[in-house]
Amino acid sequence: GAAMLRGGTAVLRRAASGGGHGQGSAQPLEPSLLRFLVCPLSKRPLRYEEATNELINEELGIAYPIIDGIPNMIPEAARTTQKKPPAEGSKEP
Amino acid sequence: RGLAAGPEMHFGFQTVTEAERREKIYQVFESVAKKYDVMNDSMTLGIHRVWKDILVHKMNPSPGTLLLDVAGGTGDIAFRFINYVRSVRERQLQRKLRHHQNLSWQEIAESYQEDKSKSLGGSQVVVCDINKEMLKVGKEKAQNLGYTEGLSWVLGNAEELPFDDDKFDVYTIAFGIRNVTRIDLALQEAYRVLKPGGRFLCLEFSHVSNPLLSSLYDLYSFQVIPVLGEVIAGDWKSYQYLVESIRRFPPQEELKAMIEDAGFLKVDYQNLNLGIVAIHSGFKL
Repeated sequence: GAAMLRGGTAVLRRAASGGGHGQGSAQPLEPSLLRFLVCPLSKRPLRYEEATNELINEELGIAYPIIDGIPNMIPEAARTTQKKPPAEGSKEP
Repeated sequence: RGLAAGPEMHFGFQTVTEAERREKIYQVFESVAKKYDVMNDSMTLGIHRVWKDILVHKMNPSPGTLLLDVAGGTGDIAFRFINYVRSVRERQLQRKLRHHQNLSWQEIAESYQEDKSKSLGGSQVVVCDINKEMLKVGKEKAQNLGYTEGLSWVLGNAEELPFDDDKFDVYTIAFGIRNVTRIDLALQEAYRVLKPGGRFLCLEFSHVSNPLLSSLYDLYSFQVIPVLGEVIAGDWKSYQYLVESIRRFPPQEELKAMIEDAGFLKVDYQNLNLGIVAIHSGFKL
């Protein structure tokens, strides 16, 4: 039979604190996904930025948003990031 | 609109540019997402459930399998996968328990902790779809049906997957490859993300060679399905597209050749319902 869909609208909220299961309105990224996810363009690893709830490709300077716990890995949806000065955070090789 | 640059492609029986095709297909699924499951049941008289069951049984996943389900929007394959490995795991644990009949409760409890404590035995499925609405429906369904473990959702393009090489044991695409604009790219990506030894499985509408069944099928497709689409989903055009896209899709042997071109070996197909649907399988060896 048809699945009964609750008319709940997902509220967009940035995850303030990481960890835990994303069943509430704050939906962080499923941690196991980080094992598999890469940038669809360069196939290179991504960095999860908790503050903005995005997956960052440092090399290309783009960020993929995570909405309702679902990472949007379509290149057209990514935004370009400003190059940050090296003092901010550590650069991983 | 028709003067846009770019190669001409088909959208059902219309001729469009590549960009137009992607846009139109996105709109089709955006429009049908909420009624997708109901329409599947109505159009196929529930038989699509059997086809999907057969796909997962053919897969025969063991606990610990990593599955990538592409174009898996509303989760039908993912849920079946979870159910399957869960029941296999249960049987495994029961067998273990039977063999431990002469042990103390302490020892039995310890043996449980040795195995992966989760009921899925480490199995995981990633559902990847290009359409936000379809994923939304799938995620809600998962919550309503109680699927929380071992399941993740990614918005991505089958032609340009956001996954690392050699990662998955199985790649499935059920009733999705027909809607991909560059099937060759999707197949190449499938090959890339599979582990060596991994399996590609495609469930899709195919070609009926039996002339009597073919006529009946055409009649049903062109006369009944769009009407159902209008009555149930208020959307004749999307279901017209569906029917036309099935007719435009390569038949069994041609799809087999395309899968082989991507590098897969031991490529084979299995007709269901005399070719109304076919399951293609290949291995990355």
